[in-house]
Amino acid sequence: MLDATRQQWLHGFLDFCLLCLLGERRDYGLGLAQRLAESGFGEIPGGTLYPSLLRLEKQGLVQADWVSSTVGPRRKYYRLTAEGRAAAEERVAVWREFRQAMDRVADRADLAEVETA
Amino acid sequence: MTGDEWHDSFTRILLEQGVDPHEAQRLSEDSRAEAIAARRHPAQLFGPAAAYAVAVARAARPAPLLAPLARAKGPVVLRLTNVTKRFRRREVLRGVDLTLHAGEVAAVTGANGAGKSTLLDICAGTLKATSGVVERAARIGYAPQQHGVAPYLTADEHFRLFGAVHRMGARKAVATGAHLAAGLGWRPRAGVVASQLSGGTQQKLNVVLGELSRPDLILLDEPYQGFDQDSYLDLWAQVYAWRDAGAGVLVVTHLLHDLDKVDHLLELQGAEDR
Amino acid sequence: MLLAIAGTSLRELTRRRSALLLVIALPLAFYAARSDEPGQAVRFLALGVGWAVATLALFSHVGSRHLDRRLAVVGASPTALLLGRQLALLGTGFTIAGAYLVLVAVAQDVERLWAVALLLGTTVLVAAPLGAVVSLALPRELEGALALLAVMATQMLADPEGTLAKVLPLWSTRELTTYAVDATSDEFLRRGLLHFAVAFALCACGAWAAAVVRLRPNTPPEPAPA
Repeated sequence: MLDATRQQWLHGFLDFCLLCLLGERRDYGLGLAQRLAESGFGEIPGGTLYPSLLRLEKQGLVQADWVSSTVGPRRKYYRLTAEGRAAAEERVAVWREFRQAMDRVADRADLAEVETA
Repeated sequence: MTGDEWHDSFTRILLEQGVDPHEAQRLSEDSRAEAIAARRHPAQLFGPAAAYAVAVARAARPAPLLAPLARAKGPVVLRLTNVTKRFRRREVLRGVDLTLHAGEVAAVTGANGAGKSTLLDICAGTLKATSGVVERAARIGYAPQQHGVAPYLTADEHFRLFGAVHRMGARKAVATGAHLAAGLGWRPRAGVVASQLSGGTQQKLNVVLGELSRPDLILLDEPYQGFDQDSYLDLWAQVYAWRDAGAGVLVVTHLLHDLDKVDHLLELQGAEDR
Repeated sequence: MLLAIAGTSLRELTRRRSALLLVIALPLAFYAARSDEPGQAVRFLALGVGWAVATLALFSHVGSRHLDRRLAVVGASPTALLLGRQLALLGTGFTIAGAYLVLVAVAQDVERLWAVALLLGTTVLVAAPLGAVVSLALPRELEGALALLAVMATQMLADPEGTLAKVLPLWSTRELTTYAVDATSDEFLRRGLLHFAVAFALCACGAWAAAVVRLRPNTPPEPAPA
């Protein structure tokens, strides 16, 4: 039940997460999956991650390029476009506001529990 | 399933989902290279081929505009003034008023038997209102709830037939039909007649036929029967795309989903015996 | 538009395999039952062809009524819809009739083969709109097929000289058969053609009037600018 909720939320936020991570630096698919896992989101299946990246690419927020490497296999690297950067900034601002509102509401649930106890 | 089989089935399902063949080829090569780079079996990396293909096909559709277009309301395409319909003693519609402009969506809701389909038939012109005034644009698209397609004709034959009625060339009609079908996540296959299609796909054909001529007013009667959730979302995306392209859309629906975005909501109260 | 409707209609007909096969086999069965006697054989064959074409017309018009209505709403003319489907039916009917004409020419000894061709042709010409008329009165396949069965069986069994036979749509077939097989006087040809003309005109006008009444949409006027 809790897992399902988490998954649903993550689904809604994945595009946003990817914009933020790519805002930090360009990366390839597995690298992004690793960084998401390190951030505490758990393992993101490729079946969810890659369609999300493709969608961002189609929306013109992200640019993807295949990069050959002398040591490893060639990889597809993603980076933010100017539009993607603007979208990321805009969403971060909205998110901060939204989080404050959410925190205020969630904190009340705490208080109510203390009163009834 | 070997990696190659996985990729073959992935590519095939992309095509079935209406992805352009060049694009499908590119996406398939990408996923192959991605799996090689990750040194994993594609099923391990992406999950089952069918599910992944559906997700990728959805993501690869032309991006919906992030900000809605600044819509200028166009001319009136449908105006109902105090429309009433009575079948013998049974009053099905009473005093219905609606003004729909080009670039607007109206949803008609109500319980079963509330007269939703009757209202649509009156707008289309297959039924005559008992009283009241109906005015509508001449160029309409119309997708009735049932029997909208011919069971023994293929999708392309439907496109050609409707194209002929709209005075389009056969080639243009087929190309337009295929393009519109792709928007609903469907690629018509040659030689398959409508009765062999699933219920949901028949409805997609029904909807595509309704918009083939790029009409000024589109009338849709609950085209979701047999639709899965994704097709349902695709349809609504399509409804808003028509609206943004300047058509007026009247949708009959019993699903109270997504109705916050429509411009007009017409709730019918239902029949009364008098 | 007419050709597109006729073309798609023809495709639909050819895809109803089992119905089409039955319809082709039926006149043959009638013919085989009386093949020993040229007059009866040709008459039964022609009535069989008539029945077959009328039934096919019934199926075609019943099957397409919803689609035709939809096409009419978006601008197809009811006349073109009826005519297109009828053209496809006549084409199919003439093809079946042509095949059976060859059979008669090979297997039977008739006086005037050209008159057999004529009577098969007139039968098809009456039968196609007849099926359309029945489809308008009885909009379901089973009921319509039973009605056609009743008409054709009565046509076969009724006394050809009686009034009943003469008001039925294919009495002309019997008159023309007599003329073709038995080398009778031109009187039979004249009566047959006259009856055919009347039956054809009635069926065709009936089908056309009904198609216009049933399919013509109540197109509302365009909105006045607000």
